[in-house]
Amino acid sequence: MNFLRRCWRVIAEPTLVRRLMMVQVVLVLVMWGGVIAIIVHNGGDSSTYLNSAKSFEAVISVAENLASQPVLQQQTLRIIDDALREEFDVSDLHELGPMLLVWQGERLVYQSKGAPTGLRGKGAAGLETVYLEGVRYRARTLRSHRSDTLLTAAAPVGWVNVFVTINSRGYFLLPLVISLPLLPLPAWWSIRIAMRPWRKVAQEVAARGPHDLTPLQFRPPHRELAAMVDSVNALLLRVSQSALRERSFIADAAHELRTPLAAMRVNAEALQGQDNGPVQRELLNGILSSGNRAGRLVGQLLQLMRSDATGNEPHVRLALDALLQDRLAALSGLASRDGIELELAVAEPVCVMGQRESLVSLVDNLVENAIKYSPPHGVVRVSLSRAAGRALLTVEDQGPGIAPALRERVFDRFFRDPQQTKSGSGLGLAIAASAAASHGGSIELGDAQGGGLLAQVQLPLCWGQV
Amino acid sequence: MKILLIEDDLDLGNGVRIALSEQGMDVVWVRTLDDASRSLAHDGCDLVLLDLGLPDGDGLTLLAQLRRNPVQGDSGGLPVLILSARDTLDDRLAGLDRGADDYLVKPFVLAELLSRVRALARRSYGFDGESIEVRGLVLHAPTRRVSVGGRAVELTASEYALLKMLMMRTDRVLTRRVLEEQTLPGSQTNASNTLDVHMANLRRKIGEGYIRTVRGIGYVIDQQARGGAA
Repeated sequence: MNFLRRCWRVIAEPTLVRRLMMVQVVLVLVMWGGVIAIIVHNGGDSSTYLNSAKSFEAVISVAENLASQPVLQQQTLRIIDDALREEFDVSDLHELGPMLLVWQGERLVYQSKGAPTGLRGKGAAGLETVYLEGVRYRARTLRSHRSDTLLTAAAPVGWVNVFVTINSRGYFLLPLVISLPLLPLPAWWSIRIAMRPWRKVAQEVAARGPHDLTPLQFRPPHRELAAMVDSVNALLLRVSQSALRERSFIADAAHELRTPLAAMRVNAEALQGQDNGPVQRELLNGILSSGNRAGRLVGQLLQLMRSDATGNEPHVRLALDALLQDRLAALSGLASRDGIELELAVAEPVCVMGQRESLVSLVDNLVENAIKYSPPHGVVRVSLSRAAGRALLTVEDQGPGIAPALRERVFDRFFRDPQQTKSGSGLGLAIAASAAASHGGSIELGDAQGGGLLAQVQLPLCWGQV
Repeated sequence: MKILLIEDDLDLGNGVRIALSEQGMDVVWVRTLDDASRSLAHDGCDLVLLDLGLPDGDGLTLLAQLRRNPVQGDSGGLPVLILSARDTLDDRLAGLDRGADDYLVKPFVLAELLSRVRALARRSYGFDGESIEVRGLVLHAPTRRVSVGGRAVELTASEYALLKMLMMRTDRVLTRRVLEEQTLPGSQTNASNTLDVHMANLRRKIGEGYIRTVRGIGYVIDQQARGGAA
């Protein structure tokens, strides 16, 4: 039952292949029906039979000449009748084929097999229509000039004719009848072959990444498809241009914000160096920490814009251990401000395929987070090793950690732990996760030894290191 | 010390000028490349703070010009610190490749700016034959002599090179890789162990409390002593 339903769904589902096949089948059926209609209308081949007047005159002559020898007459007429009807092969259904009746006076001297005895024309010139036992016949009646011999040639008219024609003209109709049910297979096959360029275009479109707005590579030479591919490419170009404009606008805006933020910082810090009362100091600290947050947010927005924009840049071989050493050295200034120690443990050299900028933002965001949530004089431990054919980077802090229920959600942009007391943008982990994903890696959060957050990043290794 | 500050933003330029003046530095602040060239040609300076996006052009062109045709009194080593909002790796490399000595991304922390300005000044004075001094540890570049609290210390060439690098960039962690590459060329095999051995010897000679290890990352000499640091 399920199988049937699935079959039906495949058939009922509108596809171009199905549509083309339906059109073909309908056209063939219409043509076939037309042929049958013409046969029915013209009375089929029987008309040629009914018009063979010379033959009928020959029959009359024979009947007259052999009137004295009834047996011989009967035999001879049978032979001529069979010869006349030879091409109208109706096998045993004689009442469907053309038929011949010969009278001499009121005596029926000959009748074809299956011919009803009462079938006798009135003798009008040309063809006439005779009804007998509910069957309509076209009939021609000839009267001898020399004697009282009368001949009626008749053929049943209507749908029965079709069968006669099919039977007699089988060599002509048979291929059509046989081919009709078999037509779908070659039709389906040929349409599939004809549609191959179409599928190729569809595959290329399906294989694209969400940020891939480059024009389609495959441009088929076929006019219909080429026009479509051209319009798709034109659309892609427009979309990518508008995306570029939007991104560069956000990047410019973020960029332009940096100078005033720097100015605010420098002025506030210079003011901090002056003699201030405790209230002023507190207010200045508020300004500075807001300035820090704004600066960090602007930096992260730029990172996000860039990670969206550089999704297609080539990946190169990178020594992750050296990169970590550089980044941690650069971040050690931030750490030492709060008296936090950074530690790096590299078990062995690790090489990954990646984009430097993106991996830097991954490392920076994880380590900055760890520093931010560390208690004063805490330790942030970073380790790098190879495990199960992947690069394994871990960042451990001694902060409050993240409740297991929230560990998935903290990767959402702008999501922040409601219990959190530290200021933050809620973008750091989202950026790190997006960077890891663009490298075919992943980030998992867990519990560090002795409390705190453990972030585990897995990245694919270079070829040859796996 | 005379500092030429090239920054077109009024608030930022004024803030930096005041902050640096507070530290006893002599700051000349200009807002265009034209004024900067004129000031460099007439008055010269000891250090340049350079913004990149200026109203009459890109700061990098001034930098290239400065490196091609050193102004009067500059032997080609005039320290240039770029202050820019452009933060990509490519931007930084472009700045450093054109001959900048350092690159600081806006918004920066004032303490970091001061630290880097001091480090640059020290580096350039070091080349000029001045001494570098950190909490009683003195390195005299021309004579390659090192003393701790007035007591002379004998160092090997490698130990001296390591100490000089760290002292010229106080407060900044130098990675093990950089130290290995810069001071121990040729020792490809077991460079890591060699570095550890040299550092241990150096520490034994100058005493504890100067060189701080950042485990797995590198070494740093802090300008101010750090409580509880190894």
